[in-house]
Amino acid sequence: MKHMQRAELDSLLTHVAQSYRLLVPQRLEDGTRLLRPWGEGELVLSGEPVQRKPTEYFLPQLDPLLKIDTAGGVQLATVPETPLCLFGLNRADLQCLGFVDRFCAFPPQDDAYAVKRQNGLLIGLTGYCGPDGQLLPLTDGRCDIELIALADGWLAQAFTDIGSALLAEFNDIDPETLGTIRSLSEKRIAEERATLEQAARIVQQELVPDDFWREIGDRCILCSGCNLVCPTCTCFCVQDRTDQGGTERSRVWDSCQFDGFMREASGHNPLGSEALRTRRRIHHKLAADVERWGEISCFLCGRCDKTCPTGIGIQAVAAEIVKRFSTN
Amino acid sequence: MKPTLTVCPYCGTGCMFHLLRDESGRLSGVEPSGAHPVSRGQLCVKGWNAHAFVAHPDRLTTPLIRRNGRLEAAGWDEALELVHRRLRQLADDHGSDSLMFLSSAKVSNEENYLLMKLARAGFGTNNVDHCARLCHSSTVTGLVETLGSGAMTNSIGCFDQTDLVLVIGSNTTEQHPLIGSRILQAVQNGTRLIVADSRKIRLSRHADLHLRQRNGSDVALLNGIIRQIIEEGLEDRAFIETRTENYPALKAAVEPYTPQRTAELTGLDAEQIIAAARMFAQADKAMLVYAMGITQHSHGVDNVRAVSNLALLTCNLGRPGTGVNPLRGQNNVQGACDMGALPDVYSGYQKVADPAMRTKFSNAWGVPLPSSPGLMSTHAIDAAVAGTLKGFFILGENPLLSDANQAHVRQALENLEFMVTVDIFMTETCELADVVLPASCYAEKDGTFTSTERRVQRGRTAVDPPGEARTDWQILTHLLRRCGLPAAYADPGQIMEEIAALTPSYGGISYQRLDLDGLCWPCPDSSHPGTPILHQQQCTRGKGHFSPVSYKPAKEEPDAEYPLLFSTGRTYFHWHTGSMTRRSHLLDREERRAFAELNPQDAERLGIGDRQTIRISSRRGTIEVSAEITERVPPGQVFAPFHFAEGAANVLTNNALDPESGIPEFKVCAVRVEAL
Repeated sequence: MKHMQRAELDSLLTHVAQSYRLLVPQRLEDGTRLLRPWGEGELVLSGEPVQRKPTEYFLPQLDPLLKIDTAGGVQLATVPETPLCLFGLNRADLQCLGFVDRFCAFPPQDDAYAVKRQNGLLIGLTGYCGPDGQLLPLTDGRCDIELIALADGWLAQAFTDIGSALLAEFNDIDPETLGTIRSLSEKRIAEERATLEQAARIVQQELVPDDFWREIGDRCILCSGCNLVCPTCTCFCVQDRTDQGGTERSRVWDSCQFDGFMREASGHNPLGSEALRTRRRIHHKLAADVERWGEISCFLCGRCDKTCPTGIGIQAVAAEIVKRFSTN
Repeated sequence: MKPTLTVCPYCGTGCMFHLLRDESGRLSGVEPSGAHPVSRGQLCVKGWNAHAFVAHPDRLTTPLIRRNGRLEAAGWDEALELVHRRLRQLADDHGSDSLMFLSSAKVSNEENYLLMKLARAGFGTNNVDHCARLCHSSTVTGLVETLGSGAMTNSIGCFDQTDLVLVIGSNTTEQHPLIGSRILQAVQNGTRLIVADSRKIRLSRHADLHLRQRNGSDVALLNGIIRQIIEEGLEDRAFIETRTENYPALKAAVEPYTPQRTAELTGLDAEQIIAAARMFAQADKAMLVYAMGITQHSHGVDNVRAVSNLALLTCNLGRPGTGVNPLRGQNNVQGACDMGALPDVYSGYQKVADPAMRTKFSNAWGVPLPSSPGLMSTHAIDAAVAGTLKGFFILGENPLLSDANQAHVRQALENLEFMVTVDIFMTETCELADVVLPASCYAEKDGTFTSTERRVQRGRTAVDPPGEARTDWQILTHLLRRCGLPAAYADPGQIMEEIAALTPSYGGISYQRLDLDGLCWPCPDSSHPGTPILHQQQCTRGKGHFSPVSYKPAKEEPDAEYPLLFSTGRTYFHWHTGSMTRRSHLLDREERRAFAELNPQDAERLGIGDRQTIRISSRRGTIEVSAEITERVPPGQVFAPFHFAEGAANVLTNNALDPESGIPEFKVCAVRVEAL
């Protein structure tokens, strides 16, 4: 466990930036908090989570894959040689990245993701750096380094060898300093996850009637935002564009809320209603992924609830499920 | 990933987002503005996909000139010289009014201003108009008469404060999704909702009352509601007394619209009309929301008057959570009107027929200006057919797909001696042009856009235009100079300075002040905070004017030969003539082909199955589309969107025009449907 002040934090980031394309939280002119290149604007070390999901950097909304020239030659998309470092991600975002890392690495590996993700560095930022200085729960170690904001600087702990090497020069501090934060953090996590986990059990037990999904589906305006902002959503479709120089194939973020997502060539759609598609969205996170990966694939990052124009993000739906169908 | 904050190019809600550019410089995505008062970190599906068409390989990249019947690549100087020379020659030979300039609700305020300046000062004609003629011209005419201002009276934030929303003729969740979603959220929080629409739109699933009045019977419905409110003494007498005029005439005019009579005219039950009247009048704060279902009729202005009458009767004006709220369809249709891309007014609705206004603009521009109002775009089409109109300059519009009665429009455009189009894709209209100039899209230029709530906001350049394409304002500046007018604008901010100096409602607007959330006009001076709610102390015209109207049937109703009622509109996933959305992968995938909605009863009677190809015929033409069998439309009605060139709904529509606003009757004509 290390301790550092702002000058030392800047020194760490400056050092990282020598070997990585370092992105750090900054506030744009309209107030939106996004990861932006280190050195291009002011580092904003507290506030709401960065708005763009962190998986964007490895699986962007438009992801060019390859180009076929007119002679039939295939050229794969180029990837910058310098690996990426994302700084400032919270516990939920790091868990989401960890989830997608495992998903994409599972055979057959997602090469386009892997090539962007390889050798990347993740630095978490937790502690008292949420909106209005609220406590952000500690990570579960799915990063190279975690910085924990305190009133008088940051605690730093490494979870990988690279992380340890980067922190080597900083002052050691008694790990006990973390004691209270850790217990507060665990309490917060348990509280936040209680509703989601209860909703997941209800969904897994098939206790949610079709009428409920119809009701929620009726409130969906099909913006697809819930999927697009979700860091554990990875579905994409393929776009080919042909010009005089050949054909470029890209993948673009898709959404299971679209009719076209599952529609067959015949026009028939096995998920042909909004009710079915809404059920799928929630069921996948709370039941299907639990069966497949052993964990709920929502880590309460909060993005879908913020971006949903009609208030049917996963936390709102989970709360409604618990309220109406809990047998306790 | 480099973000550029800009205004969404689709509807008039005025959402702002960041266009994201990847390391290679291409647009790679969209991120909603997190703190913007309208977007609030949210977007609709078109907003989320607004980057997708920008770099499409179909973009126009070089000027094209028609030679030997074919459009061939040419240089800018040659193309601009030809455009200027031919238009000037036509003006010299046949008079300035042989030219028509069609501006666009898709280009910026600055560009609309320059185009109307080019028409008026450059070529000496008031023949300038744009597609508001096809959408909210009825609103501008009607609300100027009753309230003094033809814009949405209240602001989008008002939906969070209202007790009741009456949505009439607006499919809000699909066409203004971030407004529709506010209505849905309000309903969740206890706001009551009345939907008056023949189709079962999404909002109707959440409505306390869904009135499925027959298309074209809105005046009867609104008069019936007004009469019932008066009958039960639920009108606001104090407001009527102090803030309005002409009430006795209204009272007399609505007298025949008893619930029974209204029921006969609208196809509703008398009880529904009584219930709607009570529910509406009993709300302390009610918002009236409308769009094309009100305006696109041969009596569209009367429909607007009736809406305004209902608001005035119940004191739903000038307060938060109330108002007459016409939702503007395009991202800058409000601005295009504000900038005077209309045949009778300069910017800020200053009338060309008013000598003082004419002198003001004439002095500013240094040339004499024509005094008589010009042609509306729909009348210009008629004039081209008649042969009196010779030259057409079209900026970013596609009338061959968007105007009523396509055969008539085609005849008009083919009859012209010279047509120039400025566009980003080779539209169906461009294919008929003599010169096509490649323009920049919203992502490739700076400029301001005015949303439906009169919020003036800045669009910003995220990427360069493709190939040799230029921004519209640069193209127009070149033409102004060729006309001998000074046009040394370094950037659109300087054009806004000229606009502000000449336009009282934009007097306090400058780029420096617009940086974050924009400003709602009227904003008369540099210290004015803008005006989110109009008509607060008094109406813009003084007293609110009751304008009595009586029911008139549509010009063409179903009969034995053409037994079904046909109406047109838009779908959620596509935009107008599809030039952008059909080139956006996900939007195109969602709706890939032309279709028409048909009620199951009609489908069964005609032997038509879902997704079967059908032929729809009207007195003006025939199209073939895929049938979508759905309860969304009532029996006897067919609905088709006008997005699809290969099954163009406007082949069928009736170009019967409202005599005052010149809007075509897109919402009602008679058709026959056959299985193929």
